[in-house]
Amino acid sequence: MRSRAFAPARGTSRRCYAIAASTSMRERAAYPGNFIGSMFTYALFVFIFSRVWAGAYAGASEIAGYTMRMAVWYFIVAEVPSFGFGRFFWTLSRDMKNGQIAYLLARPYDYVGYNFAEKYGGSLVEAGVILAEGLLVGTLLVGPPPLAGGAPSLAGGVAAEASRALLVGLSLLLAGALNYFLQAAIAMTAFWLEENEAFFWIFQKLALVVGTLIPIEFLPPIAARLARLTPFPYLSYAPARIMVAYSPGEAWSLVAAQALWLALAVALARAVFSFGSRRLSVNGG
Amino acid sequence: MIGTGRNGPGRLGGRTRAYARFLKDAFVVNLKATLEYRVNFIMQFFGMMLNNAAFAAFWLVLIGRTGAVGGYGFSDVMLIWALVSTSFGLAHVVFGNIRQLGRIIMEGGLDVYLLQPKDAWINVLASKTVVSAWGDLAYGFIVLALMSGTDLERLALFTALAVPGALIFAATFSAAESLTFFMGNSSAVSSALTEFMLSFSLYPEGIYGHGMRWMLYSIVPSGFVAFMPLRVFRALDWKLVPVLYLTAAAYVGLSYWLFRAGLRRYESGNRMDARV
Repeated sequence: MRSRAFAPARGTSRRCYAIAASTSMRERAAYPGNFIGSMFTYALFVFIFSRVWAGAYAGASEIAGYTMRMAVWYFIVAEVPSFGFGRFFWTLSRDMKNGQIAYLLARPYDYVGYNFAEKYGGSLVEAGVILAEGLLVGTLLVGPPPLAGGAPSLAGGVAAEASRALLVGLSLLLAGALNYFLQAAIAMTAFWLEENEAFFWIFQKLALVVGTLIPIEFLPPIAARLARLTPFPYLSYAPARIMVAYSPGEAWSLVAAQALWLALAVALARAVFSFGSRRLSVNGG
Repeated sequence: MIGTGRNGPGRLGGRTRAYARFLKDAFVVNLKATLEYRVNFIMQFFGMMLNNAAFAAFWLVLIGRTGAVGGYGFSDVMLIWALVSTSFGLAHVVFGNIRQLGRIIMEGGLDVYLLQPKDAWINVLASKTVVSAWGDLAYGFIVLALMSGTDLERLALFTALAVPGALIFAATFSAAESLTFFMGNSSAVSSALTEFMLSFSLYPEGIYGHGMRWMLYSIVPSGFVAFMPLRVFRALDWKLVPVLYLTAAAYVGLSYWLFRAGLRRYESGNRMDARV
């Protein structure tokens, strides 16, 4: 059974996805108590890593171009995609394994697009809450984030801060979307393999080491060069780097690389779905 | 306490042996159940080791840059990861219900254990194993095997240190879950304590200020599962091992007392359960 046969007209389809996203957002926002666990764990991690960085910088004012305040703020922003956009795999994979996909494919929408709208939309609320918490906790622990700087006048400084905020926001949104499509591609390997968690674990741990726990600049030069050839730095390094070492040129090139990787990830997820869904056999109802 | 009470201390040895046999049987049954799902077991086993290895990579890079963090070098950090991982794994392999106890109490699921002749606390805790915990248990020994200077004495000391660590983990998590008897639902407290204990245990002691140290040797006993065992292991100081066992016994005793005190408030859920 192919969902494409039931795909509605493009305009209707967009409206359907927008409604799915906003419904999912309202559903998440209706139960704010559900965020407490993530918020607590995030605050604990930020606190512990602020202590780790304080210990690491005990004998140095700068490591790999980062001051202690930059390193702490880096961690605060880099963890936002992990907490906000890090768990798509489990719901997608569950739908495949418990047979729910048979019902989802029969509905008049594009399976990949609809799921993206619904799951990404809902996760934006959690990511927003975590980001707001991070800004507060970071300011309390080490003071405000490093200035975007570079501009000689007050107006120029305000413009640089606004531009940085805009690009950090854009980069986080792209990081979330990239996270979704990569995780969706891994989850849809369930069309072939029932036990596919190992792929996700490997993905998750690579994402953690390459740019989440520690900036890419800390890695040995060869490892850093190799890392930049993969999508992993664009899951959390990009927004965090823009936050702590803002320069318009670098920020735009990071955002452009995220957009490129996002396009590749969308194509990959669609290809996996296209090949995998042919293996699906639905019997009965 | 278990093994005393109306039967008196004269039968203490016999009852201790009976409970040891019971724990061994529960362990064997849980192991067989786990191995029924071999692929799942292998995935969870390696998945948990991969998780731990990711943090090893982080420390390798960071300490490679700084030389030390909080007074710990790379081998010190790896050793606390090994000790905490093996203790945590052992606690969940033998007492797999330590973080499910609150839910069992809430749902009235203790009835089935109260009707059986063995002590309900030990019975409920030991009636399950956690598959991924086997990976944690093995990880510590793998790290130890990869470290230079590991010999039979160090292996024995490491194992001797992991046992009280596991008992302290089990006692602390179980105590937090037993608060369900008093609070109705202690899952928030229990999750917080789990996060605190694991997170504080896995980072160098020196990064925490003096104001926090008292907490690491009391409410959140990371000091007894990670920092003190590390010092003992480094110094090959066997004399301090009994101190850790006595500390573990104190935590177990307090946890058991809390469970028994809470059990008086327990109301049956009138559930029909069968243990197979």
